Amino acid sequence: MSRLVPFVLIGAALAGWEIAARSGMWSPLLLPSLANIGYEFGLFFSRADRLFEAWTSLHRALGGFALAAMTGVIIGMLMGRSAFVAGLLDPLFSGTYAVPKLALFPIFIFAFGIGSLSKVALVFLECLYPIVIITCHGARGVDRVLLWSAKNMGASRGEILRRVVVPATAPFIFAGFRVALPVALIVVIMTEMVSSADGLGYQVIYALASLKTDRMLALVVVIALLGWLLDKALVVLRDRLVYWEKLETYYV
Amino acid sequence: MLFVVLLWELVWIRGLPAYILGPFEILKHFFAALGSAELYGDIGSSLMRSVPGFVIGAVLGSALGLAAGISRVLDRMLSPMIFLSYPVPKIVMLPLFMLWFGIGDISKVLIIALACFYPTFINAYYGAKSTPKILVWSALNLGATRWQVFCRVVVPSALPLIFAGLRVSLALSFIVMFAAEMINANSGLGHLIRVAESGLRFDLMYVSLLSIAILGYLSDSLLRLTRQRVLAWKEQGA
Repeated sequence: MSRLVPFVLIGAALAGWEIAARSGMWSPLLLPSLANIGYEFGLFFSRADRLFEAWTSLHRALGGFALAAMTGVIIGMLMGRSAFVAGLLDPLFSGTYAVPKLALFPIFIFAFGIGSLSKVALVFLECLYPIVIITCHGARGVDRVLLWSAKNMGASRGEILRRVVVPATAPFIFAGFRVALPVALIVVIMTEMVSSADGLGYQVIYALASLKTDRMLALVVVIALLGWLLDKALVVLRDRLVYWEKLETYYV
Repeated sequence: MLFVVLLWELVWIRGLPAYILGPFEILKHFFAALGSAELYGDIGSSLMRSVPGFVIGAVLGSALGLAAGISRVLDRMLSPMIFLSYPVPKIVMLPLFMLWFGIGDISKVLIIALACFYPTFINAYYGAKSTPKILVWSALNLGATRWQVFCRVVVPSALPLIFAGLRVSLALSFIVMFAAEMINANSGLGHLIRVAESGLRFDLMYVSLLSIAILGYLSDSLLRLTRQRVLAWKEQGA
């Protein structure tokens, strides 16, 4: 019985939704029934063109994320391990950290066009910040005793970096990735909603504009599923690569 | 930082496409706009959306997070749902909220609250969970009631993480506010930038960009200042 506790709230919410939808108090335009959403959801997976929309969004999100991951880890490491680089870049990053980079989107449209490039560039920029900041925090906090012992045993600078600093920072790098990955998806969906002619975000707006609420909700479920799967994949990858440290809180 | 601005100005003087303005040009337009009432109206209506949204989301998030952190029943009921839906981009709910609550401010405030809820919940949850057991035991041993333990032990030890969550939420509230206004609104900074974009008014675009940057920076500094006051005993982390 106590196994079922986690599902109580979810089940109640779904049941409440279905009852409200069937009661006829609200128009199905506002509150489509679960059966209709499920039907549209099935339709989504049976049509190649819809799946292609998901792929468009996914490759934008992952492209920007991958770029940000590579650049961010390098910059973060440098900032964490070198006082000079930190002094140079830290004001730039912490000064503009709280600024929503999304505001740059209209300018990016002019600079990179309304295609994928402006969206990937924006994803890159938004993802860069958490990765750089968390990586830098991790690289700065490497246990000094470990560094000293490695140096004492005659490790070169390159070896220390490879064998001590990178493994010690790895949990933080993944924490940064875990913050950044949902951000990548958010930015892609958002920019597609604002200006695009393809991708899931555009499909959501299109379904809304054509009053296909059930289709829109099915798309919302698809996006939710996508975000959840990406996060799960990242956690699995993290547990494979950073097997020596368990996730204690959500991020680290 | 200074170097970047100087380089930018130099490159701009050399000639760049019309959509990029030099930093001093932007400042000139910004101060000109500060003199007109129009900008304040937009800033005001943006803040009227983001601040209530942030407050609702942050208060609910920390309260429920703390509750789930100390109560097993609540933990088992709430956590699966919240951790499942956490990586989901909350902005996709905006169209739905627009249908349910209209295209006015309510739907935007609610979507901002929703986005702010998650980071604060998760941080408060782990903050409460990671309270050192020894402290709780000693407090109980010294005869503290459950309520006292909660107020004097659990909350203070969770506060650093809660503030970390608040900082993430604050940044998110501005992002979501801006996005929601860009998607549909008839006032606010996001709307201003859309209008400027379609009218090719680059000066206005940069003015609204600069104002949102300043707003974001100011509110973040305010939060950090509060944290320093409240958490005087704890060093500032990342």
